[in-house]
Amino acid sequence: MISARGISKVFNHGLPNEFAALHPVSLDVSLHETTVLKGPSGSGKTTLLGLMACMARPTSGRIFLNEREITSLPERFLTEIRRSTFGFIFQQFNLIKGLSALENVMIPAYPTGEKYSILRRRALESLEMFNLGQRADARIEWLSGGEAQRVAIARALINNPAIIIADEPTSHLDSIQSREFIDIMTDLKAKGRTIILASHDPIVYDSGLADRVVEMRDGRIANEIKSS
Amino acid sequence: MPNLIERQRHIIDFTLSSLLRRKGKNCALLLVYTLIVFILASVLFFTHALKREAALLLNEAPEIIVQRTLAGRYQTIPIAWSDRILKINGVISVRPRLWGYHFDSAFKANYTLTVPAGNPPQQGSIDIGSGISMMRGANRGDIIAFTGHDGIPRSFKIRNILEHESQLLANDLILLSEEDYRDFTGIPADQATDLALRVRNSREYGIIAEKITRIYPDTRPIVRTEILRTYDALFGWRSGLLIVIFSAAILAFVIFAWEKATGLSAEERREIGILKAVGWETSDILLMKFWEGTVISLTAFLVGIILAYLHVFFTSSALFAPVLKGWSTLYPAFPLTPFLDLGQVATLFFLTVVPYTITTIVPSWRAATIDPDAVMR
Repeated sequence: MISARGISKVFNHGLPNEFAALHPVSLDVSLHETTVLKGPSGSGKTTLLGLMACMARPTSGRIFLNEREITSLPERFLTEIRRSTFGFIFQQFNLIKGLSALENVMIPAYPTGEKYSILRRRALESLEMFNLGQRADARIEWLSGGEAQRVAIARALINNPAIIIADEPTSHLDSIQSREFIDIMTDLKAKGRTIILASHDPIVYDSGLADRVVEMRDGRIANEIKSS
Repeated sequence: MPNLIERQRHIIDFTLSSLLRRKGKNCALLLVYTLIVFILASVLFFTHALKREAALLLNEAPEIIVQRTLAGRYQTIPIAWSDRILKINGVISVRPRLWGYHFDSAFKANYTLTVPAGNPPQQGSIDIGSGISMMRGANRGDIIAFTGHDGIPRSFKIRNILEHESQLLANDLILLSEEDYRDFTGIPADQATDLALRVRNSREYGIIAEKITRIYPDTRPIVRTEILRTYDALFGWRSGLLIVIFSAAILAFVIFAWEKATGLSAEERREIGILKAVGWETSDILLMKFWEGTVISLTAFLVGIILAYLHVFFTSSALFAPVLKGWSTLYPAFPLTPFLDLGQVATLFFLTVVPYTITTIVPSWRAATIDPDAVMR
């Protein structure tokens, strides 16, 4: 379980452009569950997602991962947790241009020191799972939006994480590609992964994927709906 | 341990592919860097080679040379003065020397004429340096003619072509007998060019020089250590021209490194953010940047050094020679003896590769320590 206890985030603290992206909020996310953070732009969902996934430290409050307090851990340990526990799917995909789809998928596993041949085989299998085996050697900039999205998902899964984090995953996809994404996530959920998504796309939060929808507004949790 | 090696391998792989992805930028970087190393290395090699040539020459030079001056200008010295100088305590021997220069107007070259101390050629024959041999197309056994002081040509048979460890010493040299020398230059029989003294104790050089000037006030004793100091002032790194070239190259390098230290493109920052977000540690990113800096600087260093070596020793410093040599007496052109001083290479390495690698890491370290959630915003 991920437990956020009264976490807040203030950017540019003490400067004239100080901005509170998140007011103290508390949230528990159970494992093997899919949680959708819903809300308009600037509501604080990406910030909350980033804090829970160890991408940044909260200005105040504490976060627990399986009852272990992680907020005060040194950077090295946070990186290790990020690498082994979380798989990220970003809004802009954040794939590295100039590299092939295969290389992009392998990148998160480089620091683990896994044998190259094994890593390559796993990355290929992962791409094939998303029907991208033929495009493994294609450079990222040659791929369509849907293909790039699937490469990003394959990359998120390469270290076999327990929790998938996706920030506005459908914002650059058309409706058909968005539904394909929901299908992939449903499949991953069925395989026991915990999924946390931030989205303001009805295709995402109205799909049967979400066990729980947390609505956010102005950096606060406004409402919470649990599907039966 | 295998994991650590594999991890290094992955990071090096990624670094190389990163370098290839930015081919244009990195090639330009490599070119500028190589050019700077080339200039620095050329200056170092060139000056060191000249100093080495000079040192070889001075090894065989006498401890003290006594010249005679008239109103501050050089003139020949009476051989009879040797006897009085020999009586000074500490002087082992005094040898009157005959040597001078001859300008060959047909080939526009300056030669050094010398009567050797031992094994002089017989009257009518000479030994010549390899430079003269090549220029005049003359070999052993050939007859060669030079115009004497009175405008009348004299013919000599070539006994030997001189080969010597120092090209500077032997290249433009003509060895001939005393009789031929006096006939050729017109120096009277009781006069010599200068007197060469052997002195046992180096601490007595100054005292002996002082005694000589007291006996013969119109002489100028030249001590070998003074000549060494003169050469050092001319060719040492502190000498004017060299410091100008060296400083310009160093300044260029500092600007170049500073640009690297302060600049990291938006794309590079974004990439660092992505790598951190997907689980790379700050140390992984610094390692990647370290390899990147090392690959570029080592390549530039090696290519620059090799090009400088070829430039100095195989093209006779074609780019610097007109400025740095500058003395008309260095004709005919002589190739410098190839020589690589590891100390100099190490100095250059620490002056270029180390600071560059550090300046590559610094901006990346700043970028790598920001929160990875920056890529989400």
